[in-house]
Amino acid sequence: MKEQLKGLVQPFHTLNKKAMLALIVGETAIALLLWQLSGSELIPRPTDIMKSFFTMLHSNPEFMENIIISLSLSFQGMGISLILALFISYLSLIPLFSPIANFIIKCRYLTLAGLNFTFIVLLPNDPHLLKISLLLFGIVPFFVTSFLSILDGINTQEYDLCKTLRMNSWQTMWEVVIVGRIDQALEVMRQNFAISWIMITTVEGLQMSGGGLGTMVVKSSRFIDLGTIYAILLTIFFLGVFFDYILGVIRHWLFPYTKLQIRK
Amino acid sequence: MSHTIQELLLKVHQVNLRYDKQILRDVNFEIHNIVRPDMNQGQVVSLVGRSGVGKTQLFKILAGLIKPSTGKVTIDIDQHEVKPGEVGIIPQNYILFNHRTVYHNLKIGLDFSGKKISEKEEQDIINEYADKFHLREHLKKYPMMLSGGQRQRVSIIQQVLTGNKFILLDEPFSGLDMLMIDRVVDLLLNVSTINDFNTLIIVSHDIENALAISDTAFILANQEGQEGATITEKIDLVSLGFAWNPGIKQNAQFQELVAGMKHRI
Ligand SMILES: Nc1ncnc2c1ncn2[C@@H]1O[C@H](COP(=O)(O)OP(=O)(O)OP(=O)(O)O)[C@@H](O)[C@H]1O
Ligand SMILES: [Mg+2]
Repeated sequence: MKEQLKGLVQPFHTLNKKAMLALIVGETAIALLLWQLSGSELIPRPTDIMKSFFTMLHSNPEFMENIIISLSLSFQGMGISLILALFISYLSLIPLFSPIANFIIKCRYLTLAGLNFTFIVLLPNDPHLLKISLLLFGIVPFFVTSFLSILDGINTQEYDLCKTLRMNSWQTMWEVVIVGRIDQALEVMRQNFAISWIMITTVEGLQMSGGGLGTMVVKSSRFIDLGTIYAILLTIFFLGVFFDYILGVIRHWLFPYTKLQIRK
Repeated sequence: MSHTIQELLLKVHQVNLRYDKQILRDVNFEIHNIVRPDMNQGQVVSLVGRSGVGKTQLFKILAGLIKPSTGKVTIDIDQHEVKPGEVGIIPQNYILFNHRTVYHNLKIGLDFSGKKISEKEEQDIINEYADKFHLREHLKKYPMMLSGGQRQRVSIIQQVLTGNKFILLDEPFSGLDMLMIDRVVDLLLNVSTINDFNTLIIVSHDIENALAISDTAFILANQEGQEGATITEKIDLVSLGFAWNPGIKQNAQFQELVAGMKHRI
């Protein structure tokens, strides 16, 4: 027992699954308890949030609808962004296109709020397309940034191996960068999923006609309806955690070798 | 032992390599085809030298992966300048495609060999090699699941399957225990006798093991007062009677030679 307690504060000490689970449950419980006790008018307590969550689920049909709207927007946005980002990243290896990829990376610093107007002018009649375009504009630079840093980290010996196997540069690119790193593309998507949700709530807040959780947040904040806002945040949080997990599972399932790269 | 030295297979001409200081200076050597009657006797040449002397750099130059500052390396009967892909390499850390199984790592070697063969024939060839080199049970595994010695064997066979006659090995004995070293020695001797033209070039600081399987050894070392390493000595193990003898490590005279060389590198 004493040994186990010592292990809790030792760097690199690994706990077994059961102990880790107990630790997570324990720490969560303590956090919730502290939150509940310290709650005030401005910060709704966990019980308040749960209450408004269930009221919303039962009495507000729009809630479910908005979840679905946001989810479908997020899937479309993520899917298209991933394909676009991969394409741009691959092209960046060809000198002709590398300046373009570098510019796109820098677009991280452009904020969506200011560009909203331009997009509205360009796409006046199609709120869905407008939202998707804003979303792509918001996500792709982050995807490309992460993916390019993965490509930068490829050991040059792997390219040397391809040369000695007489692959030409296109075959090398296919083997090492495309096939060899497709699992990491999925990982980049997983890691950036959170960013996509930030973008979605922003985009839906900017472009309210189509509904969605982002629209709900903006509307609720006009009425300072804190319970609802927090309930929506909670929903987004758990959806995020859920998809994070699912994407991780899918990655291990599609690419069994990724399990081996986690050093225990 | 009857043998004849025949055509020139590889020649290093006045190779110099400089980075911020001179690494290699006027490196010259030749490898000729050795022919023994009634068998496919390939060539095994070792380049031995201290750690940091420039062996890996020379290795990359021989493979055509880096260009020397001056000089060149020419290969084959027509003595053309070496291009990447004509010389197989087994790097110090046995790099493989981690996203492919052992089977597919080997298959990719065959796929790029330029031979037109069917899936079925590919499968047969891979299985044959896997059996011969104790990898049959590992074919479905990914490289990360293999031990260092197993990865090394996959790496070597992958290069053999590409059909490269020249295979360079960087420190093939490092990180292996005694038993595994003997296994690699067997494997390399085996590879060297698959084809008369097969030529293994072993870059190593392990003099004893390198010499034990070689027919010729070159010492790469620095000379007093001069910057950059060069070939300081050539040892003809065939004439000394030490080549092609599996039990040579037990020979007292061979051990004497090894002990003497340790002071000269
Ligand atoms: N890119 C580089 N730029 C400058 N110096 C380099 C570079 N690569 C290698 N060197 C230097 O070249 C020298 C020879 O390096 P090399 O890797 O060939 O040594 P080695 O003989 O293979 O050693 P070891 O047995 O430890 O592998 C070293 O002093 C190293 O610092
Ligand atoms: Mg080295």
